[in-house]
Amino acid sequence: MSWLDDLSLELYARGVPRRERARIAIELSDHIACEPGCEERLGDPRELAVTFADELATAEARNSAFMAFAALAVAAVVLIVSQITLARFAHYPGYANGISMLLFFPAVLGMLVAPQVALVAGTLAAWRALRRRRVVSLSAGEIRLIHSRARVGLAAGFATMAGIELYVVDFSERLPPWWLGLIGGLAALAGAGLFAASRVLVRARTIVSSTDGRAGDIYDDLPLFGWRPLRTRPWLLGAFASVAVGLALGGFEAHAEHSVIEGVQRGLFEGLAAAIGFIVLGRAIGARPARQSIEGGTPRPE
Amino acid sequence: MKADTLNGQLDPLILATVAEEPAHGYAILQRLKERSSGAFDLAEGTIYPALHRLERDGLLSSTWSTDSGRRRRVYSITRAGTSALEVRRQEWKHFAVAVEAVMG
Repeated sequence: MSWLDDLSLELYARGVPRRERARIAIELSDHIACEPGCEERLGDPRELAVTFADELATAEARNSAFMAFAALAVAAVVLIVSQITLARFAHYPGYANGISMLLFFPAVLGMLVAPQVALVAGTLAAWRALRRRRVVSLSAGEIRLIHSRARVGLAAGFATMAGIELYVVDFSERLPPWWLGLIGGLAALAGAGLFAASRVLVRARTIVSSTDGRAGDIYDDLPLFGWRPLRTRPWLLGAFASVAVGLALGGFEAHAEHSVIEGVQRGLFEGLAAAIGFIVLGRAIGARPARQSIEGGTPRPE
Repeated sequence: MKADTLNGQLDPLILATVAEEPAHGYAILQRLKERSSGAFDLAEGTIYPALHRLERDGLLSSTWSTDSGRRRRVYSITRAGTSALEVRRQEWKHFAVAVEAVMG
């Protein structure tokens, strides 16, 4: 088996995409053709493949995080437009006036809870990618964390757009046709953007990184949370976050509706949802503390 | 000079080499060897991940060309690459002066 065959196999084993493999093979075969017999000086094909894969996995992970964030930002605009136009021009139809509660409840969950998950996970993915933009080869664990955050964010984004579509269907007999068409269409477009970002993420996840090092966690990303009692007791962070979310959104609701009762109801609901979200998704978004505090990866040459 | 010594310096060396004239991987390596009088003893394959990385970062661009029936990727420096190279040159000059002052 030739040196080039070894390299191709190693690249394939590390999930380097076919197009990239073909380009590498052409460049290296040209190099060998320029000076036959120079294979030994090219280095170990396995080490070279590892370098290619590690750097590509890092670049693709960052790219997938930024793509996910951009697609989620578009979805957020659609959600905001839907609420503003509904309040100003179409008027809320009342929750009991839709086709079915079986449509209403998942729609409201999608429109109220999922956007918060998408905001947190998508922002954390993009923030980690931005914060570590100068690192040539992130550790495999860190790449997995970025992927995981982007995946959670995109899933929540899809849930949000699905919630809007369910709302459109539920109130299709009550709301004006222009609103139904506009918001249904925008949500579908945002869904297409999320799908495109998901494809980038799926492609990025196929590339295998071999770089050692820890993944880091939310406490590395947000130094505010690096306070030792929080780092060593993740449940305390979850409790603080849930109370903060409950107070903020409960207060907003009470102010908007001029009703303390509604504010308390909303606050309890949001706080509980935040607590459940922390329990279910805490590990996926890196909200659990890591054992060490030194991040891995190879720094980019300055 | 071992590859470890070159750590962190390969990217600007490649940029400086390509800034003279667009070139393919093998030609870039030959220029590096010639200009350094063969001082850089690195695994030749390592230049290719660096070229790909510099292209991803927008500091190099590349196109396919054909020579003697063989396809090859020819790299050129971009405007961003030229700016980055100038910054690295200045940094290197300051560093070299400081090291010289200390080591004599």
